Amino acid sequence: MILAFSAGNVLVWAVWMIAGLACLASGVAVISFSNPFFSALALIGNLGSLAVLYLLLSAEFVAAAQVLVYAGAVMVMFLFVIAYVGPRQETPWRGGPSWQTIGAVLAAGAIFVEIIVVLGLKAGGRLSDVHAVNGTFGSPGWIGRLFLTDHLLAFEITSIVLLVAAVGGVILGEHTKRRDVATTEDAA
Amino acid sequence: MQGAALLGPGIVWYVGIAGFLFGIGALGVLVRRNPLIVLLSLEIMLNGANLALIAFARSAGNGAGQIFALAVMAVAASEVCVGLGLVVALHRRRLPLDVDRLSELRG
Amino acid sequence: MITGAWLCLFAPLAGAVLITLCGTRIPRRAAGWISTLSVFIAFGGAVWSFLALRSHGSDHGAISTAWTWLESGSFKVGLSVLVDPLSTMMMLIVTGVGGLIVLYSIGYMDGDPEERRYFAYMSFFVFSMLLLVQGGNLLLLLAGWGLVGLSSYLLIGFWHEKPSAVAAAKKAFVMNAFGDATMALAFFVLIFHSGSLEFATSFTTAGHLSQTTVNLVALGLLGGAAAKSAQIPLHTWLPDAMEGPTPVSALIHAATMVTAGVYLIARTHPIFEQARTIELVAAGMGALTLLVAGLVALVQTDIKRVIAYSTMSQIGYMFLGAGVGAYANGMFHLMTHAFFKALLFMGAGLVIHALAGEQDIRKMGGIGKLMPWTRWMFLIASLALVGIFPFAGFFSKDSIIAATLNVGWYGYVLWGAALAGAFLTGLYTFRLYFIVFPGEPSAFAEEHHHDHHGLEGPWTMLIPVGVLTVLSAAGGWIQFSPYWQLVTDWLDPVARTLGVAEPTNTQEWVSTGLALGLGLGGMAVAYAIYGSGRLAVPRLPAVQRALEHKLYFDEAYDALFFKPSAALATQLRRLVEDPFVLAAGPDLGETAMDAGRLVRRLQTGMLRTYVLFLGMGMAVMAVVFLVVR
Repeated sequence: MILAFSAGNVLVWAVWMIAGLACLASGVAVISFSNPFFSALALIGNLGSLAVLYLLLSAEFVAAAQVLVYAGAVMVMFLFVIAYVGPRQETPWRGGPSWQTIGAVLAAGAIFVEIIVVLGLKAGGRLSDVHAVNGTFGSPGWIGRLFLTDHLLAFEITSIVLLVAAVGGVILGEHTKRRDVATTEDAA
Repeated sequence: MQGAALLGPGIVWYVGIAGFLFGIGALGVLVRRNPLIVLLSLEIMLNGANLALIAFARSAGNGAGQIFALAVMAVAASEVCVGLGLVVALHRRRLPLDVDRLSELRG
Repeated sequence: MITGAWLCLFAPLAGAVLITLCGTRIPRRAAGWISTLSVFIAFGGAVWSFLALRSHGSDHGAISTAWTWLESGSFKVGLSVLVDPLSTMMMLIVTGVGGLIVLYSIGYMDGDPEERRYFAYMSFFVFSMLLLVQGGNLLLLLAGWGLVGLSSYLLIGFWHEKPSAVAAAKKAFVMNAFGDATMALAFFVLIFHSGSLEFATSFTTAGHLSQTTVNLVALGLLGGAAAKSAQIPLHTWLPDAMEGPTPVSALIHAATMVTAGVYLIARTHPIFEQARTIELVAAGMGALTLLVAGLVALVQTDIKRVIAYSTMSQIGYMFLGAGVGAYANGMFHLMTHAFFKALLFMGAGLVIHALAGEQDIRKMGGIGKLMPWTRWMFLIASLALVGIFPFAGFFSKDSIIAATLNVGWYGYVLWGAALAGAFLTGLYTFRLYFIVFPGEPSAFAEEHHHDHHGLEGPWTMLIPVGVLTVLSAAGGWIQFSPYWQLVTDWLDPVARTLGVAEPTNTQEWVSTGLALGLGLGGMAVAYAIYGSGRLAVPRLPAVQRALEHKLYFDEAYDALFFKPSAALATQLRRLVEDPFVLAAGPDLGETAMDAGRLVRRLQTGMLRTYVLFLGMGMAVMAVVFLVVR
């Protein structure tokens, strides 16, 4: 790996370092906090830094969608529910059978190590020559064209999935008069 | 950027970050007991995958990776919707919000 | 000729199967008639084969194979019947005498609740015996051999509620199994050397074997013959076998099965002639048996046991004859013995039947007055047994005795033993006769005697007895060596008498005269002691005790074989079976349950656990994928 130091390059490197570190740190933070509220906020930070990384990879539209959809909509929903459910304290790393935690660390570690190994061994060659792209790569118009021509099926199916999720959400949130009467009475 | 090469670190580094995110997310799913945190960890994993997709799309100059990433985002949103619905339903029925205690499939 | 043979072989089997399939649907008597009819049909088949063979010009006979039974590489065995002079002679004896005995059984077993089973077994036995004598190769002979042993076991233990009967059946079977084993070993050697069990091939192979090998083969065959024919040292089962019904004793343990050993020697005589030593050992075994059995018979108090020891003794004569090489003489004695021994048993059966099951001769005195017809028949049978002219035994037994004279110094020893045996035969036979029949009826006899509508028994019992009486009286006349020798001539193509076993005319007359004289002498002594009471029974307490304990053979076998085996079995059970084998079952179950309990701990019901397994699996799969690709 050759470090090519030019002015633009230094800037890219710096941005990459900051965004990368923020990404990793917020990821660790998400799973470490005991209060879910803070975890959610850490995740928002994670999403933001990811958006920056996407920009570095010439995926402007995706970066915008990430901020709008993920950080904007999904995380807001999360925060709503966390607020609704209320504060709860939890001891994050306790509980369950003794082998659970150890096994979890090992499994996750193993996956990570494998990915590194793969990258180091196999994909080094193939990933080193990067395609040169022009300006339209990653632009909204280009994405839109792709959605409506090459990947039309994916587009349609995604919309069906969203519909199904919406219906599911409504059903799950439904008040069943008989059952909830008892609970809401003593909740009040 | 007209026909520009990739500046900064190589694709390998981006994929490495993606892998790390995936691992962290997996660890979170496996260790935490609060279903909300579990869902958040799932989101991290999905994002890790997305990053890898975008990185490979850039490396190959193929737009399919970005399309796929957008689809993943849509699916993630749907899944979060349903998952949160479940959490709310649990809360309404006064069930403990602890994945360890929700173990009726115990052998 | 061949058709007759097949008919003869399968008719009794069909009878047995028919009775078994009909089960309780047919009346008990019907089972008896089916059985009798099947054996008489077999007799018809035997006569047919016999006549056809005679008109064919009795050469070596014919073998007809129905289908190939076993095939292993180049070793082929077929289900084949052999029709030759020796086999037709045996067929006639087995089915003829057998038919009469089965007919007799209808009367004897009348009223027994398991009559059908009895007749099925009897038919099955006749079939097995016919398979033995008609088998076209050594393997079928062995099959018949084993089946006959099985039938004997089933029939001895017929009254299975009696523990003594069951024990006797087991004893017979185990001792016969020993003989079967030695025979099988002999056959293995033959197969190893010749690759075939056909008679012809085996006999020619025997000529090419080393002396040790052929001696071993002959010894194996002799072991089987000795076990089946109850010769010393494998004789202890025969007296106990009298626990079975009397017709069974008549058929199996007098006329047919126990004579199978003699038939075997006659059939495989080419092998024995190669192992002349062993053949002479057979003769010596026969001589020893005839003496010992005769002595032990002197102190027996059960009527059937006296006759059993007599059988043992007479088969000793047959072994003697076959052993020195006079095969035809041995077979001739087999035939006449079948007649008079079956008659003796049947007569004893009439007495037992009339006295409602009593078998102790000390209680039976003077029954002749109450059953005169039985008495005269018994007398004729006894005279035939002792070998008095003109009855059947005279012609057959005396020619055997004479045949020993030219075999060398060993032959003289055998000759002396045979003559002593003749004296003993007269003694014990007439001891039995004089104790049971003449004189005034004892109190017991008077009290318990009951007749059968004025006759001494049902007609089904009287007719066979009558027929056999005629045969015992006149049946010996078909061979009066040296004048006419129909039997020897008939058997000449397949069982030629050895040169050394042919006595000269002088030897024949001298020997016969001595034997006859000794027989009469025995009768006279018996009359003096038991008939008229002039002499007292000699007081030799040690000898008496030894004879009463049958020379301690049973005790010896018990100590030598049974006790060590039982001790070994107990030890094995304690050390091996209980801790390992018996515990294996519960232990396996425990282990399975423990394993299950371990696995159960994985089923925590927690989502996290299952996702962990997912993750671990994924990690492993990734490694596999990396390595393979």
